[in-house]
Amino acid sequence: MNNSIIWKRMKRSPFFMVGLIVIMFLFVMVFIIPSFVHYKPTENNLMETFRSPDWLSKGLKGHVLGTDELGRDVFSRLLYGGRYSLMIAFIVVFLQIIIGTVLGIVAGFFGGIIDSIIMRLCEIVLAIPNLVLAIAIMAVMGKNLSNLIFVLTFAGWVDSCKVTRNNAEVVRSQDFVRASTALGATNSRIMFREILPNITTPIIILASQRFGFTILLEAALSFLNLGIQPPIPSWGNMISAGRSFMAIYPWLVFAPGIALMLCILAFNFIGDGLRDVLDPKRKM
Amino acid sequence: MGHFILRRFVQTLIVLFFVTIFAFFLIRLAPGNPAIMMLPDGAPESAVKEMEIKLGLDKPLYVQYYKYIKGIFTEDFGLSTAYKRSVGSIIRARFPYSAKLAIWSVLIGCVIAIPLGIIAGSRQGSATDFFAMMFALLGQSMSPVWLSVLNMLVFGVWLKWLPTTGTGSYKHYILPILTLAYPMAASIARIGRSGMIDTLSEDYITATYARGLSKFKVNWKYAFRNALVPIVTLVGIQMGSFLAGTIIVETVFGVAGIGQLLNIAVGNRDYALVQSLLLISSLCFVVINFIVDIINSFIDPRNKLN
Amino acid sequence: MSDKLLEIKDFSVKFSTEYAEVFAVNHVNIEISSGESIGLVGETGAGKTTIALATLNLLSKNASVKGDILFKGNSVFSMSDKELRTMRGAKIAMIFQNPLTALNPVFTVGEQIAMVIRAHENVSRKEAMERAKELLNMVGIEKRRFKEYPNQFSGGMRQRVGIAASLACNPELLIADEPTTALDVTIQAQILELMKQLQQKYSTSLLMITHNLGIIAELCQKVAVMYAGTIIEYGTVKEVFSNPLHPYTKGLLNAIPKLEGERKRLEAIPGLIADPQNLPVGCKFEPRCTKCDDRCKEFMPSMVKINDNHYIACYAVN
Repeated sequence: MNNSIIWKRMKRSPFFMVGLIVIMFLFVMVFIIPSFVHYKPTENNLMETFRSPDWLSKGLKGHVLGTDELGRDVFSRLLYGGRYSLMIAFIVVFLQIIIGTVLGIVAGFFGGIIDSIIMRLCEIVLAIPNLVLAIAIMAVMGKNLSNLIFVLTFAGWVDSCKVTRNNAEVVRSQDFVRASTALGATNSRIMFREILPNITTPIIILASQRFGFTILLEAALSFLNLGIQPPIPSWGNMISAGRSFMAIYPWLVFAPGIALMLCILAFNFIGDGLRDVLDPKRKM
Repeated sequence: MGHFILRRFVQTLIVLFFVTIFAFFLIRLAPGNPAIMMLPDGAPESAVKEMEIKLGLDKPLYVQYYKYIKGIFTEDFGLSTAYKRSVGSIIRARFPYSAKLAIWSVLIGCVIAIPLGIIAGSRQGSATDFFAMMFALLGQSMSPVWLSVLNMLVFGVWLKWLPTTGTGSYKHYILPILTLAYPMAASIARIGRSGMIDTLSEDYITATYARGLSKFKVNWKYAFRNALVPIVTLVGIQMGSFLAGTIIVETVFGVAGIGQLLNIAVGNRDYALVQSLLLISSLCFVVINFIVDIINSFIDPRNKLN
Repeated sequence: MSDKLLEIKDFSVKFSTEYAEVFAVNHVNIEISSGESIGLVGETGAGKTTIALATLNLLSKNASVKGDILFKGNSVFSMSDKELRTMRGAKIAMIFQNPLTALNPVFTVGEQIAMVIRAHENVSRKEAMERAKELLNMVGIEKRRFKEYPNQFSGGMRQRVGIAASLACNPELLIADEPTTALDVTIQAQILELMKQLQQKYSTSLLMITHNLGIIAELCQKVAVMYAGTIIEYGTVKEVFSNPLHPYTKGLLNAIPKLEGERKRLEAIPGLIADPQNLPVGCKFEPRCTKCDDRCKEFMPSMVKINDNHYIACYAVN
């Protein structure tokens, strides 16, 4: 499928465009704007607790979204929280794809007992619901960042493994692989040259979906105080903290809540959009 | 047919076996003495020694595992350090609440989502399809973390239509059930829609039209059955992981189910409880999916006949 | 009123896809009377299946049509939904090309035949199933297999089920879209035999679409040769096969290896199949024709009558 068709479809897919725009907006907000905000996310100021939002009346020098129970600027915490969540999500999804793809290619290509073992492993990981697994591991092994990344990665590598393995299996039995082998190509060469190009499309679509899931899972963990630990902000732990005061100061939960919703919505849009754009079976 | 059930059953057992091993090792993987972990902080030396014997830490690993498995079958999951009661009794007391939430949310989710998905899929590209998909996309973006808080604020605090916490009357259940049902309905609607779209593009559907069947019949009887399989599979997965779904919802709405229990257990460092809840949630998932596989083999007999 | 069952009048179909516009069918004229069987021959991609689906008004949404198709004098494109449903499966029935994909895998074969009956006649489920079993028997499948699923049958058997479903309501016209192409040769012979028997038993009109000239010789009285969506030669099988006039028809017949007689080199038709996205303005066969001239390049030749049983669209024959 040539590139001009892809560009044409991208422009015509409202999902993709909207998702792309919102994500670009998010990136700007989360990585660029914080340098312009006056307040730091962990700066306590007990004289200024629970201030209501100034919105943009004082530009970025005021408390755009007010302050929380410790006088910290909500807007700044919101942006930094987003930054950490997105960065973690990127690392996690990247690791998930790498691990899943490698295991999947190995399973699909070699087949037999290796395939069985890897598939059983996938089933076992799937048998324990995501959040429960994550909670158990974080609770027992400690609430630090590397554990968090480990847990999030562990919860999501199975999808890419299965997709890759199915593709690899199909490719393995095709004649051109046998032809390659007959010409003397080594296993790894075959695996990478022949199998990888076939799986790029489903993997891209899968990756875009996994972003949403990862951010959801991280938010849930942070909400339960098992994810990103306060005082470092995360949308999840901001909602958890703000919950106690939400009846009186609702913006404390609305800000992170809406941000969370928009972020996941944007990733879902892009995921759908990518599927529309890249799917070869798509009907006009 | 029996052959098929047997095969799936054996696979299920194998998976469960490995899950128990994982749960077993979880405590022992953490740094520190497992006996100390199973006891509240500051427990006396004697209690630690007792726990060590109970866990069989002096004995080889496989003996410990055997004791653990034996315990599961005799419903002896150990003692909860925080509650000072048997884990089994605590879980048994709380399970019905979570089950109620799970069953009702799946029911409501399916009743809304399946027809929505079928209609959207059969009218791909129309306005109905668009709105259905917007509804579904929004639902899938609603983290229970945000949705439960939002619902409580809007319906409980501002509009004061429904109570916010506890489990007194049926009214108390409405918000938690809706919070669980919406994202579930969203996923089911999308799978139904894509299943429908895939099915409708198949040759045999054109052949069915060519034989004079009406659009209504094709959508709701013939294509429906083909599209049902991925729907049923998804419902199984959603139902099976209901514990994960209810953790947040029960915590926010104060429902005394096993989801809230997990949260409390973690807070109390009650590892016996955590370990058992891990096991129970896997058991639920695996059993429900086993049943779902069997149901699916009736809808689409291709798998069982091979 | 003549007993013309089906009239395809100056019919053209254009598909609009993402990549280009595809001119699948171009100004086709076919007539089938009651009791007649006509073969439609041409290479894959010549637009034959499109015509079949068009007859039942089952073209996909991105198709635009010109001209008309009349069934018993009524245009299929202006029929109401109800009229279409009455026609499909009962008055005009179709046998599909690929037996593996033409049957719904999650319903038993009995159900799939019974569904056709119940869609058109007000009979009980039991009665419909009984008739389905009879039909299975008629096409050579044991009655007791009615509760089995399509994937429990071989390709040839599945095609028989397809045939049974198409005959369930005694259609007046049967359209067979390459019914044996997906099957291997021995099974092809069996299916052919079955169709011959059924043809003798019922007096259904038949539109047999295939690229296999042998089948046409066995089953049909008339033949229409199609190239790039256009009919280039038409007449009785006897006439056309013994005296092919169009270079393409000649090429087709010459390409068949002969079992007897002296061994000669197989003649292939030079050039490549016409690209339906890029058709020449004049005669569509012109790029591959050895006998063409300037006139062929500019104008599409129209059908000319050679005799009562033979028509041809070619400037080189006069």
